[in-house]
Amino acid sequence: MKAFARSIIETVRHPLLILDREFRIVAANGPFYHTFDTTPVDGEGRSLFDLDNHRWDSPPLRAALDGVVGRGGTVEDLEIAREVPRLGLRILAVNARQVQRDDDDVPMLFLGVEDVTERRRAADELQALNVELERRVAERTAELVATNRELAASNRELEAFCYSVSHDLRAPLRAVDGFSQELADTCADRLDEQARHYLRRVRNGVQRMGQLIDDLLKLSRVSRTELTRERVDLSALAAAVAAECRQREPGRSVTFVVQPGLVADCDPRLVRVVLDNLIGNAWKFTAKAPAARIEFGQSATSPPTFYVRDDGAGFDMAYQTKLFGAFQRLHTDRDFPGTGIGLATVQRIVRKHGGEVWAEGAVGRGATFSFTLSTPKAPS
Amino acid sequence: MNKKVILLVEDNPDDEELALLAFKKGQVANEVIVARDGVEALDYLCGTGPYAGRDLTQLPQMMLLDLKLPRVDGLEVLRRVRADARLRRLPVVILTSSREEEDLMRGYDLGANSYVRKPVDFTQFVDAVRQLQMYWLVLNEAPPV
Repeated sequence: MKAFARSIIETVRHPLLILDREFRIVAANGPFYHTFDTTPVDGEGRSLFDLDNHRWDSPPLRAALDGVVGRGGTVEDLEIAREVPRLGLRILAVNARQVQRDDDDVPMLFLGVEDVTERRRAADELQALNVELERRVAERTAELVATNRELAASNRELEAFCYSVSHDLRAPLRAVDGFSQELADTCADRLDEQARHYLRRVRNGVQRMGQLIDDLLKLSRVSRTELTRERVDLSALAAAVAAECRQREPGRSVTFVVQPGLVADCDPRLVRVVLDNLIGNAWKFTAKAPAARIEFGQSATSPPTFYVRDDGAGFDMAYQTKLFGAFQRLHTDRDFPGTGIGLATVQRIVRKHGGEVWAEGAVGRGATFSFTLSTPKAPS
Repeated sequence: MNKKVILLVEDNPDDEELALLAFKKGQVANEVIVARDGVEALDYLCGTGPYAGRDLTQLPQMMLLDLKLPRVDGLEVLRRVRADARLRRLPVVILTSSREEEDLMRGYDLGANSYVRKPVDFTQFVDAVRQLQMYWLVLNEAPPV
């Protein structure tokens, strides 16, 4: 048995031992003697717990090995930390089970020792990394949640503000308008032309203020609207806006040229606002010409670039950058009425799509407004 | 025959006066009851508080309802009216400054019959009141009591 056992255990590179039920060494392989600085002469016949300066004699190992022979137990990867000659403190995994060649043979203890220090360290590091990763994920999540909460709060504030603007600022305007008109009506016989003129001015101011509030609300609504992209027939949209312009002022002589078949992936309602403003502007700024021409078309494909061109009043390129600021106006209200919010709204919508809007023109020679509705593709 | 009343729910005294002026211009002969917040409106409709003992078989011909009101707001008034078996058929016209989509949707969801935005222009306002009166007091068949 001894020779048989020895021949098997010598084939393995990890330290292996065969002990009798008193834990005395029956046989051990070369790696055991080498690793733990013992020789077969010193070792065989002695208890494992007496060897190597009693370093094996730890309560957990004793308890585990006690349960094996004659008791049906096994030891599976029992990790013990101990000094190993030349290597210092190592983590050893011990596996043990009962072996018996024949039923009548004496049961013995087969014991394998594996140095798992590196594996354990790697596992510990992995564990530490995981913990750190989880901590960072939790941290970032908390940050995001906080940011989200702030955003939601400022969004709610904005909602409340817009609501007030829409509701509360209009009420006093209605009062000014209503009572000044009532004054004009009921006191007509006591008012001279001068007084009626002033009252008209009051009412004009009110109308303008009302328009400003409405336009500002539209601008803020753009910020609050969530973008939903779908395939939109821009040509059809432009034609619809053009038709509405004509309907409002059927007397004007304007040629609309809409390039057919233009489509884009964009938010149909928001882009409708863009075309309303750009085509509406073109319509407005060609009002002084006896005949005008307004075009809608595509000028480039990558990224798709669309334009609205007119041959109207145009503008001085020196003021190009001012065009898109809220309340910026390049014409007096007497020449061309407006609130100066339309192009700011256009810019906000276009940027919300990841695009850009720009203008070219010359005084008296018309204007061209170009826009894209997608982020330019990064050069590959 | 009893003259049907119009219930105007309006907290802003300017708007109240302008609405009454507009009714006068539109030659609305109906009595106009003014409630200055949601609680007053519900008191009138339910015959509670200062309106205890009112004959509840008489529904107003229509209720003109502002949305932003002290105490109980317009949408809540509407919700309670639609939840009340005696009041649920009352024609309710939301008459407000707001054109916020949210208000429009919630107004209709809660069962408003109509939603009219108060124009800043008084001429338009008078016109709107005239049209409301024409539709809801003349053209529209009121629900049977």
